[in-house]
Amino acid sequence: MTTRLRVRRTNLVLVALALLWIYPVVWTLTNAVKNTADLYGGPLAMPIPPAFGNLAEAWNRANLGQALLNSAYVASLTVVGVLLLAIPAAFALTRLRPPGRAGLFLLILAPLIIPTEVLIVPLFSIYRTMGLINSLPGLALVNVVFSVSFATIILAGYFRRIPQDLIDAGRLDGAGRLALLTSIAIPLARPGIVAVGVLIALFSWNDFAGALVLIQRPSAFTAPLALTTFSTFYATDEGLRFAGLAITFIPPLVAFLLLQRTVLQGLTAGTAR
Amino acid sequence: MIAAGRRERALDVALLLPVIALLVAFLFYPLIYGLDLSVNRTEGFEVTGSVGLEHYVRALFGDAVFRQGLANTLVLTGAAVVLQTGLGLVLAVLVAEARRGRTLFRIAFVAPFVLAPVAAGTVWKFMYAPFFGIVPAVGGALGFDLSGVAPLADPATALWAIVLVFAWRFAGFSMVVYLAAMESIPREYYEQGEIEGIGRMARLRRITWPLVWPQTFALVLLTSIATLRVFDLVWIMTAGGPGHATETVATYVYTTAFRTLDVGYAQAMATILMVLIVALAVVEYRLLNPRAEAASL
Repeated sequence: MTTRLRVRRTNLVLVALALLWIYPVVWTLTNAVKNTADLYGGPLAMPIPPAFGNLAEAWNRANLGQALLNSAYVASLTVVGVLLLAIPAAFALTRLRPPGRAGLFLLILAPLIIPTEVLIVPLFSIYRTMGLINSLPGLALVNVVFSVSFATIILAGYFRRIPQDLIDAGRLDGAGRLALLTSIAIPLARPGIVAVGVLIALFSWNDFAGALVLIQRPSAFTAPLALTTFSTFYATDEGLRFAGLAITFIPPLVAFLLLQRTVLQGLTAGTAR
Repeated sequence: MIAAGRRERALDVALLLPVIALLVAFLFYPLIYGLDLSVNRTEGFEVTGSVGLEHYVRALFGDAVFRQGLANTLVLTGAAVVLQTGLGLVLAVLVAEARRGRTLFRIAFVAPFVLAPVAAGTVWKFMYAPFFGIVPAVGGALGFDLSGVAPLADPATALWAIVLVFAWRFAGFSMVVYLAAMESIPREYYEQGEIEGIGRMARLRRITWPLVWPQTFALVLLTSIATLRVFDLVWIMTAGGPGHATETVATYVYTTAFRTLDVGYAQAMATILMVLIVALAVVEYRLLNPRAEAASL
């Protein structure tokens, strides 16, 4: 077979696979703008003209506006918290010489292998005594605990790649450790910091188990929680369920499309070395 | 590395202190608290007396549901590791060969990974639904009446239906990791292969596969750690049912703790899961690590 023919066949296979992959997403988005009665018209039936009734009703009934705001609030707190903790830690672990560095590194890595399941009951109990159930900052705190190790490792990778000469030059100019961090390390690692921030926001946005256990009051529901509660208990028909689902789909999907280069870079930073 | 006096070393530690304090308070302390719960009789969340290792014995030897959950979890993890890594590699090879649209392909395959597990799980609950789902539609197109078929509602197919969703959701992540590695393989290797006249499969087996082994290692480790503890996708799609056909250790821990309120017992099962994860990670690390000396992750 000639190379050209083979390339064309490869492309056909790829296009078919790609369509298969995004089909469930497209199916959901199109079903969200159908009237419920039209859902049974077959999966290839296009919603023409689109019907927005279900979207509006799902938005109101599931209180999705509030839920999306709550999710955004928790994600912002989580990102800020993680970066404030992980940046200095990663810098100290890679460019400074704290006593017992290897042990500290292990201590910070250990959480990666500890499953959330083993912590969720004790954390629930601790949160109950501290009065943090239904607290969105409390949920963010748990998200920080679960993602700060990951962030520290990825950032350590970026800090490690900074040439020693640059650090030495800063030292010769009389910069202290904090000045080295803020004026040399952070600016040079900026792509990494942005990538980590975006990924952590995504993790926080998508979290379900933490919110399921720690948030019980509907007004504090995050988007995943609002979606499950709505589609399990309140949606009266399939059309409404599709609409609710589509609304919670959209923010991460749009963020990914806008920031795909950053997201993809962050995803590979941990493993490509 | 920067040479340091005593005061500066104190500052080095101070930069790490906040993380350490947070992890001690909200991770290591709960971990120990949890271990304590697991060896005690509990009333709701209050400890009422010691039972020693009774909960562990009950889980391992006296609880058919836990054993089924364990078996399901292991099947799911094995299938996920093979499918996600394998599909990821195949997709990466195909995308790397594509002349055009590589970015678009990447976006298409990674999109499911970006969606919240709750959203992804709900979509597939609908896809697998009878009447308006995908199986009746495909069946109808082929001339069969499959309108009442619901893969998630049948104990014989439910777990495998979930396995497919895992492959769909995570293969793109593996693909991106492989692609990044493949881009750094020198072209000369492939040119040399072309001179020797080796075919496509041989090229994959003899050049690409050995060179992406560090990525395979990382992906196998990540996938098994993540799948052993999986809760959200399964919970959304089946909540462990029908019966206990798709029960995983994590879903069973959740129902035991928060539905039947047998907190100490739930905590013992969660601890077994943790031991399993750590053990498997250590074994995989020993067997598959591409570097002889311990690599710092």
